Amino acid sequence: MNKGTNLNLGRVRLSGNQAVARGALEAGVRLATGYPGAPISDLQGSFEQLAGNLRRASPFAIKVGEALDNANYQLTAHWGTTTNEDNAFALALGAVICKGDFKSREFLTEDEWDLVYGDTVFSEDEEKRVPVGSRVMCSFKHLGGNTAADAIRVAVNVVPYTGGLGIASGDDRQGTASQTMQDNKVLFSSHFRIPTFELHSPLTAHQTVKNCYRLFEELGTPFAVIMNYDLSYREVSVDLAMEVDLGANMRQKGFTRDPKHLVTIGPHIRPRENKFHSKLIPLFRKKIGEYFDFLGNKVQQLGERPRTLLLLNGPFREDFQLLRHDPTLKDRLLKKFGGNVAVETTVVFPQPESLYKKLLSKLSIDRIFVFEEGYGRVIYLQLLDLVNRHGLDAKVFDCGIPYEPRIYERFSYIDHILAE
Amino acid sequence: MVALPNRVLQDHDETTFMRPVSNCAGCGDTKVSWSVLEGMKRFNREHELKGKNRYQVVYAADRGCGNLQGYHAYHIVDTIFCMGSGVIVGEGLKESCSEKQIVVTASGDGGYNFNISGFKFAAKNKKWGAITIVYNNYNIRMTGGQIPLEVDFDKEGKAMGFEVLHINPYHVDDNAELFKELMGRYLNKEKTMVVADGVCVVDMAKDTKAVGLNLGHFVKSDECLDLKFKEERERVASEEPEKLKDLPRFKCRLCGIGLRCHALLNNDPTLCFGCGACKQFPCPVGALSFEGPSFADSTRIPELLTMYRV
Repeated sequence: MNKGTNLNLGRVRLSGNQAVARGALEAGVRLATGYPGAPISDLQGSFEQLAGNLRRASPFAIKVGEALDNANYQLTAHWGTTTNEDNAFALALGAVICKGDFKSREFLTEDEWDLVYGDTVFSEDEEKRVPVGSRVMCSFKHLGGNTAADAIRVAVNVVPYTGGLGIASGDDRQGTASQTMQDNKVLFSSHFRIPTFELHSPLTAHQTVKNCYRLFEELGTPFAVIMNYDLSYREVSVDLAMEVDLGANMRQKGFTRDPKHLVTIGPHIRPRENKFHSKLIPLFRKKIGEYFDFLGNKVQQLGERPRTLLLLNGPFREDFQLLRHDPTLKDRLLKKFGGNVAVETTVVFPQPESLYKKLLSKLSIDRIFVFEEGYGRVIYLQLLDLVNRHGLDAKVFDCGIPYEPRIYERFSYIDHILAE
Repeated sequence: MVALPNRVLQDHDETTFMRPVSNCAGCGDTKVSWSVLEGMKRFNREHELKGKNRYQVVYAADRGCGNLQGYHAYHIVDTIFCMGSGVIVGEGLKESCSEKQIVVTASGDGGYNFNISGFKFAAKNKKWGAITIVYNNYNIRMTGGQIPLEVDFDKEGKAMGFEVLHINPYHVDDNAELFKELMGRYLNKEKTMVVADGVCVVDMAKDTKAVGLNLGHFVKSDECLDLKFKEERERVASEEPEKLKDLPRFKCRLCGIGLRCHALLNNDPTLCFGCGACKQFPCPVGALSFEGPSFADSTRIPELLTMYRV
């Protein structure tokens, strides 16, 4: 079923937005919906060009578009035509709930499959295959999440039929092109409680997006990836080698009736809501821990006898990589924190508790420093909750910044980490 | 540091009792649902489509009592999500459903006003055909008698790109024929908006009563198989009661089950709301008729007055 096609397209400049588009295309996304607004318009504009709704103007769209055309890739895009984010999301929701095909289990055990699919019309499948259909991406700016909130909340209620749905949110935490500087990590993590990730680099974003589709489609849940303003627009040069999942793109279409899931009325949604919070979120948490590396996260020890855990998310994570090129920065880090374990993570929610518990108990860590951007403090609060709930002997420090600094502020994330 | 107890959500059984669904006997939404299903059957029959070659309806509905009845009573409704989302969810379904599935969407007039941009999207999307049903209860019937936003479906629907068709929801047979035709037009990528005018019979019956017009009721002749069988059951009950348990409870309730009508199911004209849908119901022995005014004559009360009260 997994019919991968390799496309080597040479050197191109790629923005964060285009990197997310690349990840979605590599995952075989068949429908892209969205509503424009800075900083994410560029992502949807790419899909519009690739789908043939607009003239292909960017080098990315020209090169990738030609290659996908030759591979008979199926792509439909609806951008401004949906009039608002709520309609864009409802359109995506309609497309993703059609499960006309199956794939073999890749990430779930049989018991986990029973938990996710045991009460659906697919529960009788003897091989316990995963029902699948079109992979879909819906994207909007941070405030679009408010407009689409009604439909997103319903998408949570119809899990596992929303597996294969990715949401890309462009966060204007600078207030450069928006009336507010909303932190959408709060919306997706605390309100909708769906797996949420903050991307950090145009070099790696595609891999995270693609692997999120693979993992969370099987878990039957939508997921959200968030970029800040800078990442959305910042360009890097890359050798564009794409591995496109054409098998996913060309799946059989078809709608399978399951009104007990898809007609959202009280008696149907109450048990699902209960199951989502009490059983599925713990499963997502466990799977994120098991596939931590697969989702593009890294754990590394720096120095001897580490007593400190550093959690680096979003732009802090990207700047932290400067340590690899500048030994003086590493010296400053060791001087400030001593021996430490640095967790470079895209995961915003749910945090893999077992991983942290293991690190804390194995290495006698007693201090946790959380570096994240945005006023929500979503990661910090989850770590604080973990330590309190389990009575762990560690202190958690909030070292984030509440908004994204603008370029003229000359803010340095690595200096913020290393500041005395 | 104090360890707090591990809080884990417990499993709870569904504590809300599933109420038996008590549809209004004359609900117009339900009659339209019947016509859609019947129209699909007739389309397949006319084109001699069998087995896997048959077309199926995928029914994307909005929130509202009418569509809940479509779900509970006819098992026709496939999705109900947010208010106003039915039509746009339907467009999404078209992207991923099979070519043998025809997506029909149904909204109330409140849902239409809520998401007119969704209707516009459906009308402008050149990739697919569209059958969008609007249950027009004049926006004042259900939620609390709110002041309605005036809608001119003919002008607005046409401006968006739909062909607008008004139907009397109680003309169940005519409507089934119409939907049969619309299924074919859907496959030719035509866009139709079907406005079912006057779907809330309970509220309209209050209005007719207020102006002094009493609606009629159904009549079953002696040919009715169920009435004949009822007499047989009564005889057995009095003469051979031990044999009663071997008899079925009824012989034929096609009309009551088909129209989901309590009055017909109970053979009790006093429960009849006077919708008149049974006038067009294809009774196998022709035993069903209607006496007096009904909404099948017209859903406009002034017209009914002219017809029956001179």
